[in-house]
Amino acid sequence: MKTDPDVIVIGAGGGGPVIAKELGELGIRVLVLEAGPWYGNKNWPNPNENRGEEKESSNPNDLDGALYRKQITRLENDMNDFVSGKFRWGSADRRRGPWYRNIPDPTILWQTAGIGGGTIHYYANSLRAFPHAIDNEWPINYADLIPYYEKVEKTLPVEFAPTTSKEALFYYAAEQSGFSLNKTLDVTSSGYRPQPNAILPPNEHLMDPNYSMEEISHMEGCTLSGHCGQGCPYGPTYEKMAKRSTNVSYVPLAMKTGNVTFRPNTFVTKVLTENDVKRGKRAVGIQVRDTWTGETEELRAKVVVMAAGCIETPRLWLNSELPHNPWVGRGLTNHYMDMVTGTFDEETLTEIIGSPSINPFVGHTSGARLDYPGLGMIENIGESPGISAQTLFAFSEYGYNSLGESNQEMWESRGRLVGSELEEAMKGYRRTLTLSVITDDEVQFHNRVELDPHVKDEHGAIPLVHYTPSEKSKMRREQLVKIATDMLRKAGAKEIHRSDLPPNYYIHLQSTMRMGYVVDTSCEAYQVERLYIADNSADYNSLGGPNPTLTTQALATRTAEHLANKYF
Amino acid sequence: MQATFRALTDSLVPSTRRIGYESPINITDMGVHEYLIYGLDHYIAIQEQLHHITLPLAYPTAIMLDEAATQLVNTGRAQASPQIQFPGGGMFSRLSREDRIQTLSALENLAFDLYLLPSPFQNNGGLIKHVIDALNRFAMFGYYSEWPAYGTTRLYPPDDRRLEFFPWGWQQVGYPGVSLGYRDFRGMLIEYEEVKAKEVD
Repeated sequence: MKTDPDVIVIGAGGGGPVIAKELGELGIRVLVLEAGPWYGNKNWPNPNENRGEEKESSNPNDLDGALYRKQITRLENDMNDFVSGKFRWGSADRRRGPWYRNIPDPTILWQTAGIGGGTIHYYANSLRAFPHAIDNEWPINYADLIPYYEKVEKTLPVEFAPTTSKEALFYYAAEQSGFSLNKTLDVTSSGYRPQPNAILPPNEHLMDPNYSMEEISHMEGCTLSGHCGQGCPYGPTYEKMAKRSTNVSYVPLAMKTGNVTFRPNTFVTKVLTENDVKRGKRAVGIQVRDTWTGETEELRAKVVVMAAGCIETPRLWLNSELPHNPWVGRGLTNHYMDMVTGTFDEETLTEIIGSPSINPFVGHTSGARLDYPGLGMIENIGESPGISAQTLFAFSEYGYNSLGESNQEMWESRGRLVGSELEEAMKGYRRTLTLSVITDDEVQFHNRVELDPHVKDEHGAIPLVHYTPSEKSKMRREQLVKIATDMLRKAGAKEIHRSDLPPNYYIHLQSTMRMGYVVDTSCEAYQVERLYIADNSADYNSLGGPNPTLTTQALATRTAEHLANKYF
Repeated sequence: MQATFRALTDSLVPSTRRIGYESPINITDMGVHEYLIYGLDHYIAIQEQLHHITLPLAYPTAIMLDEAATQLVNTGRAQASPQIQFPGGGMFSRLSREDRIQTLSALENLAFDLYLLPSPFQNNGGLIKHVIDALNRFAMFGYYSEWPAYGTTRLYPPDDRRLEFFPWGWQQVGYPGVSLGYRDFRGMLIEYEEVKAKEVD
């Protein structure tokens, strides 16, 4: 961009590209800054090796599906390694370490820097909040959100997940436990249903042997490859890839408005403000640092939108020395998760699903769910072996199974497995169904993101993250774990393992800049005019359990309207 | 340091692999200990005055494991073997597999004198818990992901690595690897348009 944009958006993850596209369609000129690399853009043919010749991209012709497929190798270590993977929280240059966060506890914090942000590795679960968690809780109503949910569902688009073996087994298990099918988008009672996912339905020729898988993978629609978490590069073009991460959905749509420019490899280090005698502080621009060259510069705009995520948005507020607000960075929720894995024998499986193995790596990585308003939810997860082993058998607050009490009543094993126990468990990998427990997590003031008083990186004081679940969240998680265990047992699982995950497992981070405390109902900061938020941090609570992305995207769509009406 | 990390991975992941009729693959061949060392040495990057530095964690981690093992032995909670299984290693590598797991457990429960540990772990319970957990996760991700199959290029910069064979871990669990897709479509239980139409009624 040669002249100042009207609006600067910080972060091209789940929310940023949505608000950029909406504003672009209204004729407002937007610059989106992203800290990480851009995969699938011809301006950066080797995005991890050098800076490239261009600084930014606004032409949809720069997008290249073939290049994307080459870069997204679908290999779990190459893509998902927290230290050196393509999808990590760090700079484009993988020879360097990730960006450090101080979390003084056993931790997995799964965020990705790059155009698309967390949506490039997410499972595309795109469901609405539970209405009860919005009404009488949030400062806005569920009904206010519905038109925006509908718009995002149509744009992505969202469709219920297809059934593969693991979903068939999940539905059977839910039925055996006494639950019934809940045919709805607005969940008010417990029941199971396919996940509403931002994934195109399977290609109509998928089951036709006259078409090779190679051919089908270049056609429109999901191929059930199971690589949601490794990035999904299957489709005829970049913007028609089956999994609808924002990089392949909202980003191309934003570029097509002719008003939106995206600039990767740019870390925003400060929000600039001016004091207006009458109206107090207002945002006027930002300071950025190029992650390849270290060059810093200042950029100006009429409005600034923070969409950097639940850790970086409050960090940026604090590092910018914006006005004190006791709730900045406070109220962090993470759906206090757990995992329960059932291993079945071949006979049982043949009886239920007609084949001797489940093959958890087939189909949508998470395609089925059980909603339980009041407690949270349970969903199936079928990851690749390395990610499965790491999450299910290496990460636990229980400690080592071999050092634990011998007679567990509910589970054959619990906690970390090592050596021959691990080998045995992983041998059953193809016959496992893993249920992820996702809790309606209570907001607590003491759970927080703050600045580390002692440690800085090249972008300023680093974030220090602290989280412990409330008694209510603990109780809810235990109840959900019992339900999940019961589902597996009733479906005939022979061995059940409970991971007992540590509390600091961050997949769904939310509510660190809460509506009603830090931002108003249009998501503009109370204390800084012309400064908006368009990420999960603006959530008032953890939505009752549902995955946060769709709500963030609906809110961003709504915020775009408010912002445009007020300032343009 | 290498010996300590070999002893560590030996206690965490399956020890030898025999696939088909080939000779057994030792986990040392899989190099998972080197994966841990790389991960630890690239984990924390910070700014010190004008310099951007990476704080190497592998060496202090090895010292910490040996120190904790020594305390366990001295207090009668573990026994050192006179036999040397991992030449060049310290006290940690002289413990049985079970006692090595006991040592990790004692460390994450902070059940010993934290003052005797090297920097940056000295009196830093949070970092100790964080790193002990990471050792477990790195070992399993290193073992069951495709990392060992980068073979001679394992420790090259990430973009210069090449897969040299099919990953052992994947072969062992029956994961077919990168896939274009699977023909396991069993239909749609419900569809968006149908559900939405029902709600409008």
